[in-house]
Amino acid sequence: MSGIDAPIEPGLGSPTWGGFDHSRTRGRGAADIRRSFATAARLGWLMEANWTDPILFFIYSVAKPLASALILVVMLDVISGGAKPEFRAFVVIGSALWAFVMAGIAGLAWSVLEDRERYRMLKYVYVSPSDFLVVLLGRGVARVAVGAMGALITLAVGVVALGVPFDPGTVNWPLLVVVMAIGLTSIVAVGVFMAAVCIQSRQEAWSYPEAAAGALFLISGAVFPLAVLPAPLQVIGLLTPFTWWIEGVRQALFAGSLSSVGGDGSFFALVAGHATPTTLELLAALLATGTVATLASIVAFRASDRRAKDRGLLDQTTGS
Amino acid sequence: MSGTSESQPLAIDVRGIRRVYNVKPTPVVALQGVDLAVEPGEFFGLLGPNGAGKTTLIKILTTLLLPSAGTAHIFGFDVERQTKQIRRIMNMVAGGEQSGYGILTVREQLWMFSQFYGLPSKDGWRRVDELVEAVGLGEQKEQRVSTLSTGQRQKMNFARGLLNDPWIFFLDEPTLGLDVSAARSVRELVLAWKAAVPGRTVLLTTHYMAEADELCDRIAIVDHGRILALGTPDELKKRVQRESVFRLELDRLEGGTAALKRLPGVLSAVAAAAQDESRDRQTVEVNLTLEDDAVLGTVVGALAGIGSHILALRKSEPSLEDVFVELVGRGFDEEPTDGDTPEPPAPDLTPDPRDTAHEPGEREEEEALI
Amino acid sequence: MSSAFVYRPTASPQEAANWSRRQIIATDLRTIVGRAYPRVTGLFREKSWVFFEVLLPFLATSAFVFVYRAVQAPPEYIGFVVLGGAMTAFWLNVIWMMAQQLWWEKSQGNLELYFAAPMNIMSVLFGMAFGGFVMSSTRAVAVLVVASALYGVSFAVDQWFLLIGVFFLTLAALYGLGMVLASLFLMWGREAWHLTQFLVEPVYFVSGLNFPIARLGILGSVAIALLPLAVGLDAMRQLAFADAAYPLGTPSPEIEALILVAMTVVFLLLARWTLRVLERLARKEGRLSIRWQ
Repeated sequence: MSGIDAPIEPGLGSPTWGGFDHSRTRGRGAADIRRSFATAARLGWLMEANWTDPILFFIYSVAKPLASALILVVMLDVISGGAKPEFRAFVVIGSALWAFVMAGIAGLAWSVLEDRERYRMLKYVYVSPSDFLVVLLGRGVARVAVGAMGALITLAVGVVALGVPFDPGTVNWPLLVVVMAIGLTSIVAVGVFMAAVCIQSRQEAWSYPEAAAGALFLISGAVFPLAVLPAPLQVIGLLTPFTWWIEGVRQALFAGSLSSVGGDGSFFALVAGHATPTTLELLAALLATGTVATLASIVAFRASDRRAKDRGLLDQTTGS
Repeated sequence: MSGTSESQPLAIDVRGIRRVYNVKPTPVVALQGVDLAVEPGEFFGLLGPNGAGKTTLIKILTTLLLPSAGTAHIFGFDVERQTKQIRRIMNMVAGGEQSGYGILTVREQLWMFSQFYGLPSKDGWRRVDELVEAVGLGEQKEQRVSTLSTGQRQKMNFARGLLNDPWIFFLDEPTLGLDVSAARSVRELVLAWKAAVPGRTVLLTTHYMAEADELCDRIAIVDHGRILALGTPDELKKRVQRESVFRLELDRLEGGTAALKRLPGVLSAVAAAAQDESRDRQTVEVNLTLEDDAVLGTVVGALAGIGSHILALRKSEPSLEDVFVELVGRGFDEEPTDGDTPEPPAPDLTPDPRDTAHEPGEREEEEALI
Repeated sequence: MSSAFVYRPTASPQEAANWSRRQIIATDLRTIVGRAYPRVTGLFREKSWVFFEVLLPFLATSAFVFVYRAVQAPPEYIGFVVLGGAMTAFWLNVIWMMAQQLWWEKSQGNLELYFAAPMNIMSVLFGMAFGGFVMSSTRAVAVLVVASALYGVSFAVDQWFLLIGVFFLTLAALYGLGMVLASLFLMWGREAWHLTQFLVEPVYFVSGLNFPIARLGILGSVAIALLPLAVGLDAMRQLAFADAAYPLGTPSPEIEALILVAMTVVFLLLARWTLRVLERLARKEGRLSIRWQ
């Protein structure tokens, strides 16, 4: 069959095409999201990893979390002279996990600032068919991966050289998987929130994600039990998903270690009636706080997006 | 100190400048041994397509880039070793500049640069206020830089370029990305400045032929790191078409073009019938090729003598792109069609035969003027 | 219009190019003020920094206070952490707002304009330092005052003059180091960004930000010899908590002050030299204007 009776092929490949192809505006739904995410993740990794040789990249990725852990180890040794190994394990685990948090929070925010200020690509990414948030998430994943590498190596150094007790046979793998899945979602959610802030801010916003992570450091039980804090701060900490995530990873990887949430005299013990949270309580609290954080972040991002469009912030360059 | 004499060094004296960028996979030779001499007070243009080497040359002259070989002097100061002196007497404005601090207002941004140029603070504010009015940014002076349109930003950049009253002003594609009106404003500003401060030198790089034609006293046509031709716009166009070509529209032409062809100085006359739509009548269009413009008077008189009335008269001139095509064999926007870049014509050191009389109708051989 | 275009006409370009020493110094001083202007102005035009640069860092410092409380450390250790937290403001200012600033300026397209202008690029860096000092000081004072009040830190200062002198010497040495880093980062391009990251926590560790540096042994001694933050912080701790049982093993504050003087001189001279050398190298390789290097 040929000529006028031939079936019309859709899209640009059609020999009879001569006008607007409406099918192009429909998109492909989940397939487009997957592709956008994968492309952005690959781009993020290339940008994150190709600036130097692998050895220097490795050192750079590990130095930060390892130095953070060593600062705390020395702080403790100064006072206790190494007499409290359980405290040392506590701070090493917490600071290693905090590398994840830092990477996640900063990753998305810095992607926004990089694309807007340095590469001037933000507006082009924004007007592409890909969902802007999906692209940001993809870009942020690369930094989370780098953070994961640093965290794992710091934990390994902690086990090998700093006296962190670890028995692979006692690891609660199902708990670890669930906690990591929910926890990472929460970390990325806070990263989305920081990205929303950075869209509104000027170039100096580069330091904002780290400042935010530093503040969360105080109330997340990363390097000291929440019981040390005044009660109001403990309540804020208990409402933070990172607190439950760190606690969950501790319980999964290092069963029986010092609890960051509970303990004698803690607000949790006062409310729950027992010193340490059960697995069910932990998961419920993580899920609840993580859900709230995720929803709040999405709302904040969409609001920031609207305000940015309203004020023409997406293609501005600031700098001072 | 180099130059035409001890007391009058050349504004720009470039000798054998070569610049190679060591990039992967193969190094790029951006300038292949360029010689240039610009007199003080000249408005000099570098005209060429993208990638010709214009910006590379201007960066060398503005002390931002070192040449790989050769020498360059600005008013006798060496661009390699006497950068401080050069930076005190020059300024530069590039097209598409996005520099500046978005959080500052136009006034503040310019004042900040006035401090970099050494103006006392009060002088700086006063000069900024004068210049923003002069460039037409009076209404925007308290606006943040981040809110300016492209044209306004370029005017601000232009004002910045004039803050220190430079002896030599480098303009690197200053109208790039501007609309017609904004581009015209910038060109008018340049000319107004030049008229207000005689003796100042301008080096303009552009790929807009009309801009070079309008502004420049002399132009160098550049391609692939070499100067292909150098001269005034008229001299360059005469390389392509030395005769004067006119197109006349007449109400009638008794006896055809025979009478015109017999006139001294008329090289050819070709007539064609045409329809004047506005008057609904037949007219005659005549393409005349004359030895030079002066012959036109004779033609007009002859036409009057045979009772023809001239309804329209238009001169046809080659453009600088015609010159470029003649030199290189392709247009500004075209890439070389085969793998080898066509070699520019070899340098010709013989006197220009255009100064001598020649037989009408004969075309001269094209020559390079390096 | 013509009067707007004319400014102090000179007879020739040679006359215009020939500046007196007074003119050169005046231009450099004006440049410092001019470059500080956008920094200081920016503080008042976008105020989110108050939350992110003052309140949140205070909370981060508080985290380390509570670490010591968790292990029942002596009260002077709380003071060490508070003082260290205050000084982080200046270190972060040096690495974020100075060291990689020239690389930022290149990204923005300003670097070419700076190098094409007649002032000394060190003046531009001084201006950035001064402008950033305003924000950093606010942060440092906030951390110091609020944390001291909240956590009951008591200072015992015998030598105020020396303490203030050491503080300013520490800043001078820090900013000198910042200038050296700025010139290096001018060449390193994208690596500058990552190297800035690299310099935060590791420097905190070897500088003894939260603990007496004497505990690091030889590493601490090396840090005192090389890092302004390490030696300045140690000297300020000895002076600010004169009655504390401070671990021995570090030089006296007077000697550390002299070390800071030497560091300042060395870093400023080194900065002058590296900026000159690296500017020439950048001009040779065309790095002053290639944006994405």
